[in-house]
Amino acid sequence: MEVLNPRAALLSNYEVLSLLRDLESDHLARTKTAHRIKKEEEAAGLTPTVPAGGGRDPTVVEVSENLRTVSFEAIQYLSAEHQPTATQTPEAITHLVKSLQPYDLTKAEKLQIVNLAPQNHIELYVIVEELEDRLAERMEEVLSQVQASLVLGPTLVPDPRRIVAPTNRGADAGEDWEVEDYGGEEFDDKGEGAGVEGDLDMDDE
Amino acid sequence: MFNLAILKDTVAVHPSDFGGPQEQAITAELNKKYANRILHDVGLCICVFDVTEAGEGKVRYGDGFLWYKVIFRMVIFRPFQSEVLLAKVMSSDENGIRLTLNFFDDIYIPLRYLPQPNAFDPNERAHFWLPPNPDADPDAKPPVLLDSPTAERMWIDKGEVVRVRVESDEFYDDEPGPIKMADGVQVVREVQARAPFTVLCSMEEQGLGPTSWWNAAQTAEEGDDGAMDEG
Repeated sequence: MEVLNPRAALLSNYEVLSLLRDLESDHLARTKTAHRIKKEEEAAGLTPTVPAGGGRDPTVVEVSENLRTVSFEAIQYLSAEHQPTATQTPEAITHLVKSLQPYDLTKAEKLQIVNLAPQNHIELYVIVEELEDRLAERMEEVLSQVQASLVLGPTLVPDPRRIVAPTNRGADAGEDWEVEDYGGEEFDDKGEGAGVEGDLDMDDE
Repeated sequence: MFNLAILKDTVAVHPSDFGGPQEQAITAELNKKYANRILHDVGLCICVFDVTEAGEGKVRYGDGFLWYKVIFRMVIFRPFQSEVLLAKVMSSDENGIRLTLNFFDDIYIPLRYLPQPNAFDPNERAHFWLPPNPDADPDAKPPVLLDSPTAERMWIDKGEVVRVRVESDEFYDDEPGPIKMADGVQVVREVQARAPFTVLCSMEEQGLGPTSWWNAAQTAEEGDDGAMDEG
């Protein structure tokens, strides 16, 4: 292993959250397919077998436990109530960063304004150094720009995507899952977040 | 808070994965190797962002794996210095406060970075800050903190959301070293207590500390600017 560049670029919390959510839904989709195959095989009276040619058993979805843990916990942190991340959209963030152009803020300060979405003076004060001298009466403008970038008040937003706990899926996950239990959970998840999901998804357009 | 690191590595793809898209197999292998692990002087790896370059897979003598030389980008958690974070209080003791971000919990606030004056109340197992009393005689001796009336104390309780500034971070690479033998029996070493990556944070500034303090103090903000500004 070789580190070519330990800090090639900075990522905003929103970017990380949407990446992790994509991984999450990708994983769910694959588990679902694998489960469907298993169900079909059972219906046809076949015992699940390793396919001809020696490929991997399609009924087993293999995902590293470490990855599931860290992504679940990071999603939990980033979509917590005290974080503005869940109420942001890619367009709003682009717009916010553009509108911060005239204030002569450093890159790190802009990133933190996007990440933390300061709602009042004291929050802006800890992010921007020497706030009084540099911004003076233009503080209000910055705050209102931030306010405009959040689509909904944090309390109004329904949980955009229900997070399904990654644990308790040990090696025996394949055998143990109840079929009806599984189906219910899956569709419920899709239906509930559908409206908000569209808003947040970047690649959908 | 998060950043991208460009890494280079050689990964082996098992023959049973030859059927699917190779990028997916490589990403899965990389995630298996790096996710949720600390890279020295880089930070905590979250997941693979993308694979930028991959060579031809080569078969080596001795196994059926395809070995790829890949250059890829990794999402890394490593807050930069002076970055402001939101975290939750995990526990408190005589030496300071430990914070958690759910996915990472080796964040510490030593005593010197707590708002002054502060004290640790062993009965409550929590630190508190005693806000300066504007009516007090400036020449009077500083009060004994643990004798102060409980109602005046500003508690930093467990589970509270706090805003903190990153002061520094440290990496430790404690190698286990060679196995020690005594009388032909392997000696089991005591468990290494040091975390490989720790972040030191500060609360000693206007606007830092439990978010509830500042939301409540919003209205009084203009007035106390001069009195408490120590930054």
